[in-house]
Amino acid sequence: MDDNYFSLNSILADNHKLSCTFTLDVPGLGYLEGGTENDIHQHAKVELPFWLAQTLSLNEFTTFPLPPPYTNRVKSALNASAQSVKLANLVGGNGWWYRWGRRIADVLDDEPQADLLNVLLKAFVNRLPALQDLAAHHASADHTLPENSTSSGEAFRDGMEGDERELFAIGQESGKLSKGWYDSNSGRKGGR
Amino acid sequence: MALPKTLQPGLTPDELTFLAEEETIDIVPLFSMTRVRLLGGIYGPFQPPSASRVPLWLALSLKRKRKCRIVPPEWLSVERLTGILKDEKENAEGFERLSTRFIETSKVLLDVASDDLSQPSILRSLLKDLREVRQAKIRIGLQSEGVMRGSYLQVTNLTPLELSELKPFLVKAMTMMQSLEPRQEEDEQDDAGQGLGVGNGYGEED
Repeated sequence: MDDNYFSLNSILADNHKLSCTFTLDVPGLGYLEGGTENDIHQHAKVELPFWLAQTLSLNEFTTFPLPPPYTNRVKSALNASAQSVKLANLVGGNGWWYRWGRRIADVLDDEPQADLLNVLLKAFVNRLPALQDLAAHHASADHTLPENSTSSGEAFRDGMEGDERELFAIGQESGKLSKGWYDSNSGRKGGR
Repeated sequence: MALPKTLQPGLTPDELTFLAEEETIDIVPLFSMTRVRLLGGIYGPFQPPSASRVPLWLALSLKRKRKCRIVPPEWLSVERLTGILKDEKENAEGFERLSTRFIETSKVLLDVASDDLSQPSILRSLLKDLREVRQAKIRIGLQSEGVMRGSYLQVTNLTPLELSELKPFLVKAMTMMQSLEPRQEEDEQDDAGQGLGVGNGYGEED
């Protein structure tokens, strides 16, 4: 996961909405709440994009609870069976569960930070074998035939988040390249 | 980056085959010619009953024009491959050592000069078996302890061709794992097996 300044994925991942609570009155920013009021009052709850929430929280203007995709409920689900959790649904169809989690961890204190990162890492590690098998399978499978989408692999594929999808595409692509090479026949091509 | 995505991670199988064609091989020419000076070197002389050593690309080119017979390398025989396959199966820990361009060379020879090899169909199936055994080991390796901790994958004796298939996926997966690794060193040790062991000393998990 590159935190490159120019990485579009990083920028998009920073745009996930975080539910924050203001710790003080802010005059003139009422439109953030979407209401008609002019000011934001203390204890007001506002959905802010992460890039904004991060700065505000570091300056202690706002506080936020751990957002739903990273709560204990998800943690237990991941512990039970990491491969059957649909991460994509947790962060909206095109979200980045790992990236966003990592950005949130950056804001947290040492201990919850390590906790959260461990949840992320463990989830990734437990989901990796399934991901790898699926990529290998799709690289070699014949896609002219209709596939049955009931198998567990397909269910897993529906639940992949942004970076997993990218990883899947990479694995599939390199597998295809190799398979194409093994299947090609340089004897028939004549001079090359 | 300007390179297409497929070329960014490393060499493609086709490029590796191109490199493999620089290796030399014995041929028995079916024509006579004195030494010939090409950009890549001086080859020949070609005198029909005696063999001469040329790069693989030249051998293949001559073979396609039916101007030579290729002498297969000694490892490309049913006995040798059966032996290698047996060793590969018995060696559950690692990979057998193959010559660097083993897969590429055997493939182009089977494609172009199968009539110069003895029992090409058996060779083909042996090579396929060998590939499958090695692939299975790679798959197991990918789910091993080393990869799971984001640190390493055992690839000793894998050929560049096999690595080229593996590399893009592995590099991305490892990068992700490293970026998710908690930053404090002492936590990592606490944490060898269990993901959530870090908060134990404090008793205040949220």
